[in-house]
Amino acid sequence: MNPLNRRTFLADLGMGFTGLALGSLLQRDAHASAPGAWRPPDGQPHFAPKARSVIWLFMNGGVSHMESFDPKPMLTKYAGKTIAETPFADTQDPKKLALERLVVPDANGNQRNTLYPLQVGFRRHGQSGIEISDWFPHIAHHADKLAVVRSMWTTDSNHGAQTQFHSGRHQNDGDFPNLGAWVHYGLGSLNENLPQFISIGTREYWNKRDGHYLGPAHDAVPLRIDPANPLDFSRPERALSADEQRTGLGLIRRLNELRGIEYPGDPAVAARIAAYELAYRMQTSVPDIVDFSRESAETRALYGMDLPHCREFGTQLLAARRLVERGVRFIQIQHGGGGAGAWDAHSGLKANHEGLSRAVDQPIGGLLTDLDRRGLLDETLVVFATEFGRTPGSQGSDGRDHHIFGFSVWMAGGGLKRGVVHGSTDEIGFHASQDRHYVTDIHATILHQLGLDSRRLEIPGRKRLDIDHGRPIHAILA
Amino acid sequence: MFHSATNPSTLPPSRHILSTASRNDMARAFLPCSRPATRWLALAILLIAALSRAHASVDYSTQIRPLLQERCFSCHGALQQKSNLRLDTVELMRRGGKSGPALVPGKPDASPILERVATVDPEDRMPPEHEGQPYSPAQVAQLREWIAAGAPAPSDERPEPDPRDHWAFRPRTRPEVPRPSPPDPTRLCNPIDAFLEHARESRQLTPQPEAPRALLIRRLYLDLIGLPPTETERTALLADPTPDWYERLVDRLLEDPRHGERWARHWMDIWRYSDPWGLGEQHRNSQKHLWHWRDWIVESLNRDLPYDEMLRLMLAADELHPNDPDRLRATGFLARNYFLFNRNQWMDETIEHVGKGLLGITLNCAKCHDHKYDPFPQTDYYRLRAVFEPYHARLDVLPGEPDLDRDGLPRVYDRTLDTPTWRFVRGQENAPDKSAPMSPGVPSLFTFAPFEVHPVPLPPEAWQPERRPWVFEAHLRAASNRMEAARVRRNDTRARLGAITNAEPQVELRIAESQLAVAKLDLVAVTRRAAAQREQWHEGAKTQSSRRDAVIAERQLAVGRQQLTLDETELRLLRAAADKKDSLSKDLAAARAKLADLTQTAAAEPGPDATFTPLSGAAWTATRFLDSTKDDPASEFPRTSTGRRTALARWITDPRNPLTARVAVNHLWNRHLGAPLAPVVFDLGRKSGTPPRAALIDWLASELVDHGWSLRHLHRLIVTSAAYRMDSTTRDAADTAARDPDNQFWWRRTPLRLEGQVVRDAILALAGDLESQRGGPPVAPSAQEGSHRRSLYFYHSNNDRNLFLTTFDEALVKECYRREQSIVPQQSLALLNSRLVGDAAPRIATRLIAQTPAATDDAFIRQAFRELLGTDPSEAELTECRQSIEQWRQGITPAPNNSSNDRARSNLIWALLNHGDFVTLR
Repeated sequence: MNPLNRRTFLADLGMGFTGLALGSLLQRDAHASAPGAWRPPDGQPHFAPKARSVIWLFMNGGVSHMESFDPKPMLTKYAGKTIAETPFADTQDPKKLALERLVVPDANGNQRNTLYPLQVGFRRHGQSGIEISDWFPHIAHHADKLAVVRSMWTTDSNHGAQTQFHSGRHQNDGDFPNLGAWVHYGLGSLNENLPQFISIGTREYWNKRDGHYLGPAHDAVPLRIDPANPLDFSRPERALSADEQRTGLGLIRRLNELRGIEYPGDPAVAARIAAYELAYRMQTSVPDIVDFSRESAETRALYGMDLPHCREFGTQLLAARRLVERGVRFIQIQHGGGGAGAWDAHSGLKANHEGLSRAVDQPIGGLLTDLDRRGLLDETLVVFATEFGRTPGSQGSDGRDHHIFGFSVWMAGGGLKRGVVHGSTDEIGFHASQDRHYVTDIHATILHQLGLDSRRLEIPGRKRLDIDHGRPIHAILA
Repeated sequence: MFHSATNPSTLPPSRHILSTASRNDMARAFLPCSRPATRWLALAILLIAALSRAHASVDYSTQIRPLLQERCFSCHGALQQKSNLRLDTVELMRRGGKSGPALVPGKPDASPILERVATVDPEDRMPPEHEGQPYSPAQVAQLREWIAAGAPAPSDERPEPDPRDHWAFRPRTRPEVPRPSPPDPTRLCNPIDAFLEHARESRQLTPQPEAPRALLIRRLYLDLIGLPPTETERTALLADPTPDWYERLVDRLLEDPRHGERWARHWMDIWRYSDPWGLGEQHRNSQKHLWHWRDWIVESLNRDLPYDEMLRLMLAADELHPNDPDRLRATGFLARNYFLFNRNQWMDETIEHVGKGLLGITLNCAKCHDHKYDPFPQTDYYRLRAVFEPYHARLDVLPGEPDLDRDGLPRVYDRTLDTPTWRFVRGQENAPDKSAPMSPGVPSLFTFAPFEVHPVPLPPEAWQPERRPWVFEAHLRAASNRMEAARVRRNDTRARLGAITNAEPQVELRIAESQLAVAKLDLVAVTRRAAAQREQWHEGAKTQSSRRDAVIAERQLAVGRQQLTLDETELRLLRAAADKKDSLSKDLAAARAKLADLTQTAAAEPGPDATFTPLSGAAWTATRFLDSTKDDPASEFPRTSTGRRTALARWITDPRNPLTARVAVNHLWNRHLGAPLAPVVFDLGRKSGTPPRAALIDWLASELVDHGWSLRHLHRLIVTSAAYRMDSTTRDAADTAARDPDNQFWWRRTPLRLEGQVVRDAILALAGDLESQRGGPPVAPSAQEGSHRRSLYFYHSNNDRNLFLTTFDEALVKECYRREQSIVPQQSLALLNSRLVGDAAPRIATRLIAQTPAATDDAFIRQAFRELLGTDPSEAELTECRQSIEQWRQGITPAPNNSSNDRARSNLIWALLNHGDFVTLR
């Protein structure tokens, strides 16, 4: 398809250009007419989608799986014993530990052999009876909506695992596009007034450029919860009245249109006209996203916005819901700044996780309630993820170290089964034992629900490996 | 399920067509009217195909062979013949391999090929685990159906050609220039056009005429120096009656020092320039002061240093010119790959980007297994790694600055001469194959020259950099500056406090005196250490007296410092609250005791083993491969270098190397014309096919090599071609546009979205604000907003990027072989709202008004168009602008006067900076 065709095609569909970075597609024209030609994605799903948006909640630093969604009473039973003294000594079989890939030997990321008791109670919830720790009562309230995957593994035992969770590759392999960028690359826009891939919250530790070889146009657009300045360049630095601006925008449009006559068939002209319209609408619609004045007091309370400890995260999640309502594809929210991430509880795990779970639990519970009651949960995939779990053994007297061999994530909505647990770790939460999944299986599952086949999103000169694609976790698809 | 009607996937097909009729009239206005018909036709074809599939049997050429090619050929084709089996023709499948025929036509169940792709047993299944995607049940069914139908295939089926015969791997020869005879001879400005016209001729594609002069002027300025012409230059050029005005302009711009700044940025993309970055304060990647390499690139381009020489210096200046700091800057190319924590990651990046950037091959794909498309066995990867295995990075002291945190020359050197390189089984760093170390080498496919490594003995200054004459001088000057500063401080303190006899001011004064004393002792120590080191170079271990002096001087310095500590403790004690006094008194006593010890040591005669701290002329950039919390042990700089990188540099720049020049001209073409001749600039291998204009690449490459690898020669050739000078419009060329819509045959210029650097620099230049200062340390992120320096000089790393530039597809420091040219709303917001544009618009307006104070609106609009967009406005454009100015003027309160006039004109400038053509190279 030549770029012209493609462009009209998209314009005809009302898909616009925001998510498509038209220019970068044009740049790759040369390939389009070669035999067996590569073609850029046309913005259409490859098959009928089950979900149209993703809210990606990422807990920086590493949440303890045992103290959240995969409770292990054996830790309490054998507390203080070394693993070798327990019936689970075989977890330390060097062959099973070999999947770890070090970046550099570090004081962290080591095996900790003295079992550390569970720091929190847990109970079964809902009809599904999913066990969830008492630190997450609001999420637990939605147990029957969750698909918990308790058998994750990764390979980077340091916080490069954050990048790895998003790109699918260990940092020793180099840099690769993140999941959100692939979604942005593959799918057209649902709302021309808003960027389609948005990042909220702190991510100081990991690579900030999501698009990598897909191009900067596929980087997440950072959104700030500040109506006065929510988006870069969304506020004029030179004071212009609304009238002056409108006159100017009208002139810009007409001048560009006149150039379109001079250069018929230059797709960049039309793309630019569209970009200015979108920019103008973005300038007005983005502040609206973070203007919560029309949300009811009840809704705000639902997200915990009236509680100091969850106000920040609650506000971000309410913004996420508003973005989803308006058709934004991928909202990536990172929780917990400082160092390598707030959840990185090498010491004082109890105080650390207790505080942080209080900050996120009610907002997430509120989000699930709110999405559900608005009928949005069916088409919105909410993901709760973290780069790795934490060691069954203690680090120091009261912490847990990084743990890559088994950990948990959960997803909800978006056409997944509800109230299911998939996969498991062994009895001390050491190794993912049943139905093991590498991080790209989460990617594949999400892409599948969005109607995308990652193998059809190839781009010239970039060979992706089997492991990059992952496999959808069919067992949790509804 | 979805409540949104905007989701295209939920629209039934009829809605697509409905929307075709109803939407985007404006956009459609620009399109040749045949488009919708084409789409109908395509749809019809798809339908026919879908309907007929149910009846016809599977087609080998379109359904089976591509699948085999994707999943099987890399091991069972021309590249490799595992088990002696090839699957690239039906005949070869029937012939089979070690275990007999792979295919029995008509008998699926007797055809092992089917069995092997269909089995669920991962031990048996093809392609093997991790080597490729298994066949889906549908694909297996297709294969079965095709075999059952007798495995029909075209009779003239040919096996895959020999991979070694791929165009880019063959020796380069100078192709004969074709002799087309176009009706219009101006289509042929130079041989480039002959190649292109030759291809167009047979297809009856008429190239566009030359663009108007005003556009050509803007094109050349922005492309060659990255800035628009001044009004004086523009007017003069437009009026120049000489026939060779264009060529003379090209020469002038190529010799303009701003050309180096403009094109350095292109090469910095390709060579992965990055200022250092890390986490918080910890430096983890690239090198401090890497800007020296950037300045070397700018200067080298401005001197037209031959491309081959540039590459040799970047790879091995430390072996070729160990005593030449100017040239050593070039090795920033390798020093940039430094990574604090992990050697494998560092080496992998080096191999990948020497491969992609300089040679146009994806050797990185051979890290884990033999290359799947090109004839590079996995060992090639590790042989190249062995070339780089010994190298590390260090900072050398530069004249005038001994403190390497403040300045220093980042460069490479061979540090670990004997570290073996192991092949990693399946690329896994924890699975080295220790049966035999890999010897340094280059891809075995290329045999034009032997790869010979000769160790390089280094001059003493290379491994004892303190011998360089400026090193001691720098240390001495710094020490004497410190002393002067201490003296000034002491005098100030004395003037301020000398008359006061209270205890506290007296101690303060004593501290200032001690500081001066320390500075004096320091200067003495530096002087004696320098003397001792000098004697050591000449007389080896015999130099007892100078060593003794240096040791004593350092001991006395220690005494001085301790005296200062004592004074400072005393002051703290004086000022301390009552409850802190006890513990400070103890500190004071301890300091006094230590002072006594040190004084005693200083008085004693140094023993024969006593040593002093030598003055340093360079420092290793320490790594932490062994433990993330402490530096790996330092070692002396070796007296020889392995010579491996020199051997590689010679091999890469050997005129017989088939890749190097081809890659370079492809980059140049791409950056001048917006699209490369070979489609993937970092991969000229088989996966990218044979480019249709391979002969032109070869001719350009021959020109490069035969003209002493002069980049300037290539720039001149390209920009003086008719291909470069053509108009970019498709107006009046609907026919040609219909036959070659993608401009495969270069019948017109492709407009380029300008890089963020050019956009920003042009805005500053038009406002008269651009600073001309060249080179030096980068502008810190915090200072960028107010800076008027060229964007090239902005601090740019993985973590710190300028927001405006990033919005316009700033280079990714990890890899940027082509700059993206996206068009996204964030760019519009940046041009509408940024401080950069907000500040510049009124300044540009003021400048234009000052130029012609009495100008009418029309005259102002014309002038603004010329300066900002390079062209005159059309009548329609003039009218639009006039009306808007009027509207602005009316809307601005108070009533029309001079200031509202200025404001309205500033608004016009603001609008023109947002004009599509401002950010476009037409």
